Amino acid sequence: MFSLLTVILGTLILGTLATFLAGRSARWVALITSIVFLGEVGALLSGYTWPGLSAVSGPQFADYQSVPWISLPWLQINYTVGVDGISLAMILLTAFLQLATVIYCWNEEKRPAAWFGLVLLTCLGCFGVFVALDVLLFFLFWEAVLVPMFFMIGYWGGVRRRYAALKFFIYTHVASVVMLVSLFALAFYSHATSFDFSSIYAAANGTLPFGAALPITVQVFLFLGLFFGFGVKFPIVPFHTWLPDAHVEAPTGGSVLLAGLLLKLGGYGLIRWGVELLPNVMSHVSWLLYTVAFASIIWGSVVSLAQRDLKRLVAFSSINHMGIVLLAIAVNSSLGITAAVLLMFAHGVVSGLLFMVSGSVHHTFGTRDIVSVNGITPTTPMLATMVMVGSLASLGLPALVSFPAEFAALLATWDAIGYWVLIPLIILVVTAAFYIWMMQRMLFGPPKGVPETAHDIPWYEASGMAVLFALIVIYGILPYLLVNVIVASPIKAWP
Amino acid sequence: MTFLSVLLPSLPEVVVLGGALLVFLLDALGLKRLEAMGGVAVVSTLVALLLVVADLRFGPLAGLATISAASIDVPAAQQSLTALFAFSSLGLVFQAIFLLSAFFVSLASLSRPSDEKGASIFFGLLLIATLGMMLAAVAADLIFLLLAIEVVGISTYLLVGYTRREARGIEAAMKFYIVGALSTALSFFGASLLFGAYAGSGPVGSDPLNFLVLNQSVGTVGYPALALVGYAFLIAGVGFKVTAVPFHAWAVDVYDGAPTDATAFLAGGSKKVGVFAFFLIFLGPITLRPLLAATTSSFNYTPDVQLALALLAIATMTVGNVLALLQKEMKRMLAYSSISQAGYMLIGIAIGTAPAITGATFQVFAHVFMKVGAFLVVAGVAGLGIGPLIDDWKGLGVRRPYLSISFALMLLSLAGIPLTVGFFSKFILFSAAVQAQGLFVWLAVAGVLNSALSVFYYGRVLKVMFMDPSPSPAPDDSAPASSTLAFGLGWGRSAAIALAVVAIVALGIDPQPVLQGIQSAATHFVVTGA
Repeated sequence: MFSLLTVILGTLILGTLATFLAGRSARWVALITSIVFLGEVGALLSGYTWPGLSAVSGPQFADYQSVPWISLPWLQINYTVGVDGISLAMILLTAFLQLATVIYCWNEEKRPAAWFGLVLLTCLGCFGVFVALDVLLFFLFWEAVLVPMFFMIGYWGGVRRRYAALKFFIYTHVASVVMLVSLFALAFYSHATSFDFSSIYAAANGTLPFGAALPITVQVFLFLGLFFGFGVKFPIVPFHTWLPDAHVEAPTGGSVLLAGLLLKLGGYGLIRWGVELLPNVMSHVSWLLYTVAFASIIWGSVVSLAQRDLKRLVAFSSINHMGIVLLAIAVNSSLGITAAVLLMFAHGVVSGLLFMVSGSVHHTFGTRDIVSVNGITPTTPMLATMVMVGSLASLGLPALVSFPAEFAALLATWDAIGYWVLIPLIILVVTAAFYIWMMQRMLFGPPKGVPETAHDIPWYEASGMAVLFALIVIYGILPYLLVNVIVASPIKAWP
Repeated sequence: MTFLSVLLPSLPEVVVLGGALLVFLLDALGLKRLEAMGGVAVVSTLVALLLVVADLRFGPLAGLATISAASIDVPAAQQSLTALFAFSSLGLVFQAIFLLSAFFVSLASLSRPSDEKGASIFFGLLLIATLGMMLAAVAADLIFLLLAIEVVGISTYLLVGYTRREARGIEAAMKFYIVGALSTALSFFGASLLFGAYAGSGPVGSDPLNFLVLNQSVGTVGYPALALVGYAFLIAGVGFKVTAVPFHAWAVDVYDGAPTDATAFLAGGSKKVGVFAFFLIFLGPITLRPLLAATTSSFNYTPDVQLALALLAIATMTVGNVLALLQKEMKRMLAYSSISQAGYMLIGIAIGTAPAITGATFQVFAHVFMKVGAFLVVAGVAGLGIGPLIDDWKGLGVRRPYLSISFALMLLSLAGIPLTVGFFSKFILFSAAVQAQGLFVWLAVAGVLNSALSVFYYGRVLKVMFMDPSPSPAPDDSAPASSTLAFGLGWGRSAAIALAVVAIVALGIDPQPVLQGIQSAATHFVVTGA
């Protein structure tokens, strides 16, 4: 009757409402919701097989459910949900990050009910984006993510929080309006029978009997609108400037969700509603995607070199990593898309850990300035270990989760455009440089700026990090656990 | 045609008229308690509403019965061509909308100060105005329509000035009266020109200003050039009623000067009569004319009328929005926003397709909850001792969270934020514009841009309520505290506000049941012209 996805959605909605109303015991409600959510995602994974491709409506989805929502003669909107391997990887990431964030923020003192409610609401929105297969439903969840993040930055954030929250809101809201208009235009101009992914696919690509495809110029034009809409979330250079501000001002939990999940919405959206929906466009626009990807990779990395604030450094390195994701999408081969999804998962986990680390550095030493806090290993060995693991994972050390993803991405790039792969490859050295430089100063130098009273991180912060730490190692050594899920999707039949 | 067969379909009107007479009777008998008169108003609007909804839902009590002015002489087939009023399903939908807004206003007004003078005038005229609106909704004849609008007009002029306490209210009433008289004159002049253009052009014995006859003869016979001038006057005359720019200037002063509960009724109820009048009058030249154009095309003024209405719609929403941005007083801001919302509704008739009429009607329906609700909150908050400026609402979100969240939901709905009914009403209207294609897509673009603009002034109120600190001492400290559901505003007003909020959220999640009904009514209206 109900698909498992609807049940999960119901769990999250109830859990979120209960958390908002729970008062002082909100963290327990949030924890229980997160554990149930993770269990349900486990059940989803264990029962998953990809239903295959259809000649008419394109890629099919597991746990599919479609119920009419608004039926008018000229407008058919459904509640349609479904998953494939690509969204499953993202859902798994959502479940783990939600759990890790709730544990990490265990001792939140400023209005805990509202805080945990907003954390859950953000994850609810992200889950919805990953399972929604109707344009309007997708947009509702997409916007639903924006609002809690705005309040998390604006209320719990740092000194310039109002400015950062407003900038975040304006950038991403303008982008989502452009995205929405493009998606609606796609649905209307292709004369799709409903707002469902499958109907739009069939109408736009002309796979219906007697159906004519949308002219390729229109497709390209709409794809560019979608690319802008999703790209700002990525973020792509030159629309990235909201990200460092938002991250620096956001509270730690907000940063974790922002980097771990919100940036993934852009990547996921581009794959699902861009590349997968309009497969014929990519040959016309891939040059643009390559250019933007290279720009993001280079800019994100080089600017990171100049940062003194640990959090800002991690934020810029996110731009670099998401640039590699975009590069892998631009390649548009089955290896490339697999690499892109894997890298999004890896970046979600690794950047989550790194933002937790920089939050803990801030709590422990009162500053995140790399130059003024040195040699922390003797006082806070646990924190130092986490800094090290996160940094090594982020620079792509083998046996940690980013390595297989980045390797696959670069391999796919080599297959597609040959020696151009040298650009990201050389930049990898720069990435390694700024992480090693940071570690050398912060972890191993002579102690400086470390107060006598500094204690190692509390148990809840350590436990939150440990969840991500475990994922980094497990999926780093056994990446096929995840890759097998990801490729059980239209990637199998990618053009 | 027996007495009963006339009475039965018009039972809702009879109930409302009876309610009004009962209010005046109670006053004459010396039972001057506000609760008694308000109770009569609440009950009679609710009963009439249920009758209308039952009629819509369970097959017409009267079918699409028509009652002829001269029914005995005219053969059955021609009855509808001489009818003064006819029960069309879209008309019944509008009746339900009008009754709903009258119900909300009278329910909330139960919480007005009970020692206030003139309760009988307020509730009695409210019911008479509602009766006029209901008659306008079933009009089948242009003159009958204008007369019904005049009934609404005269009662609402009095409603604006009934307290006779403040100079502002009296000034507003005078202004309303003078402008209203002018607009009536313009409308009737336009109607007389139409009569001159088409008299005798319909079937023998038909009434040339019956909408069915008029729509048949539009632009095909008679003197089309004369008719074009007539339509221009009607645009101006009815344009005053819906506060279309450039005929809007009176509205803000009147809305501002009137007692706020009366303002709620003006903005959410009586103004919408103008919207329906636009539907009735211009459906012929806009929609039916192109169908006829194939047969005779001596003088085609459809593009002119359509362009005029489209420009009117764009001007109305833009000017209303821009001026709303500049306002410092809450009531004036809401008044300008009400003007801009009229612009969205005019999109519907400018396009004239069934989807567009559906969208506009649903927008009118949604307005009952968001706009009437917002004015009812403003009236209640003024009763707590909070001043008229937006800045006077500082920190209300902390002091009275439930009331503030309710008001916030109404504003978010007006702005068209998802998961409120306002989102779907705008979404369906704009999708209808896109679906009509051609130049109409620009109407949708203008609408979307205007919605984006409106977020700023609604958002500013949210910021003032929730982010700015409370002044101390706060002006409403001595007023009763806000508990969960009774917002500290008296139970009648609290119930009205709570109902509106529930409707905003419930219809924001699932609008289909209402939308379905409106859609079939609108389709019937566009296809048959009645």
